[in-house]
Amino acid sequence: MGRVLLPVLASAVLLAGPAQAADAPFNGPPGASSCTGCHATTKIADSVIPRIAGRKAADIVTFMREYKSGAWPSSVMGRIAKGFDDQQTDAIATWFAAQPE
Amino acid sequence: MSTRRTFLKLTAAASLAPSVASAQGAGAGRVVVIGGGYGGATAARALKALEPKLTVTLVEPNPVYTSCPFSNSVLADLRQISQQEFRYDGVKRAGVVVAETSATAVDAEAKTVTLADGNKLSYDRLVMSPGIDFNWGALPGYDEAAAQKMPHAWKAGAQTTLLRNQLQAMDDGGLVVMSVPANPYRCPPGPYERASLIAYWLKIWKPKSKLLLLDAKDAFSKQRLFQNGWAELYPGRIEWVPLSKGGKVTAVDPATLTFTTEFATHKAAVGNVIPPQRAGAIAGQAGVADRTGWCPVEPVAFESTLRPGIHVLGDAALMGGMPKSAFSANAQAKVCAAAVIELLAGRKPADPILINTCYSLLAADYGISVAGVYRPDKGQLTDVPGAGGVSALEAVGGLRGQEALYAASWFRAITAETFG
Repeated sequence: MGRVLLPVLASAVLLAGPAQAADAPFNGPPGASSCTGCHATTKIADSVIPRIAGRKAADIVTFMREYKSGAWPSSVMGRIAKGFDDQQTDAIATWFAAQPE
Repeated sequence: MSTRRTFLKLTAAASLAPSVASAQGAGAGRVVVIGGGYGGATAARALKALEPKLTVTLVEPNPVYTSCPFSNSVLADLRQISQQEFRYDGVKRAGVVVAETSATAVDAEAKTVTLADGNKLSYDRLVMSPGIDFNWGALPGYDEAAAQKMPHAWKAGAQTTLLRNQLQAMDDGGLVVMSVPANPYRCPPGPYERASLIAYWLKIWKPKSKLLLLDAKDAFSKQRLFQNGWAELYPGRIEWVPLSKGGKVTAVDPATLTFTTEFATHKAAVGNVIPPQRAGAIAGQAGVADRTGWCPVEPVAFESTLRPGIHVLGDAALMGGMPKSAFSANAQAKVCAAAVIELLAGRKPADPILINTCYSLLAADYGISVAGVYRPDKGQLTDVPGAGGVSALEAVGGLRGQEALYAASWFRAITAETFG
């Protein structure tokens, strides 16, 4: 009985590891990994914080630029956008655009 | 019987097989993470997500983590303590091995961690996120026994419930006294959020009661926002006594719930002592804490400047300008995980950028925030000039209510990312 079951159990254990490993990406450009503390890359129920994963990079860049200049009102985002130059912002926007919506 | 015993032995061997195999595989490595809070649990999950071939072991004795962020809302009956509790199922699902025991010794030379259950773990890189411990004895009269009479509630859980129950049982008109330590300590604006939310609760349930906030400092995080909010929401209910007005508590007496300062003694109906703090005890044992009790690190991979191969993050670490918050710990953990993978592959990690955002509640629908952006500069994590700062002093367009909603949404996002 043990001899029959063993290979089945062993392969189940082997499959369990890698198959369920990465459920959140952490491989973005500098700064991106901090954004996901609020802008989740997984589905969060009942959140008023906008999802940016899967949005157009150009739209994310526009938001960041307008928050940074103060043209669009914001709570924290204006204060945060000021910490990033255009190149850094572009890289983060491109990365978020490539994440699953 | 013998068949069953053999079967159990064989299945036990089989379940060990994958980790042994991956530890010896090409490009694999062993990373041990000590501490399953916002820093450690995030680091463990991020390491495994970035490099599934790694063997990642999280050492954490508690099966349930009780979150400090939002625990002040439990004192004000805005949340239940059960809403603060998170288990490690999501961490395990990510492929992390969770060792439900504590680390008793770290040998930085041999690269081993000794566990309370007698096992010893070898590592290629060690990540420590041990949080804080209290400097028992630094405040005369305050020790672990005293904390049962005058709770600290600065590690959430039973202490939070104890303080809540004391407030509930207090007579209307009773004086609540809090003492706040000098910097640095976990969650710089936390004492003032706590004072606010206790005042919120007193206003409803014990309207004759007041709160005395005895402080070992003359200035604090988001000070004008807090003080403006107190004047607006709780006029006359919170009295803040700064260091220069004799606010520093020099001794407490748990038998009489008395706080002694340089100028006066104050007898409390409910006393909350936020004690002086240092890095979690294992940091001292591992040799990564300096004479201040905290852990100096370099600003790219957060590797200890005292013990190579050991990374320290979260509240325990000295992170330059970055405050000791859950947001910081989570952000540092993700940067650290990516850097550890680069180092294991023999590459140099790129300079990171980190953000901190920290919300405080003054009432159920009244939130304020501080934010900062940080990068390495001259060996320290330093504020990016021109960025960051606190909420606007003049709130327009329902800003305070909006920030209270953002705070709640932040909590859902960060706990999902940390614990899975």
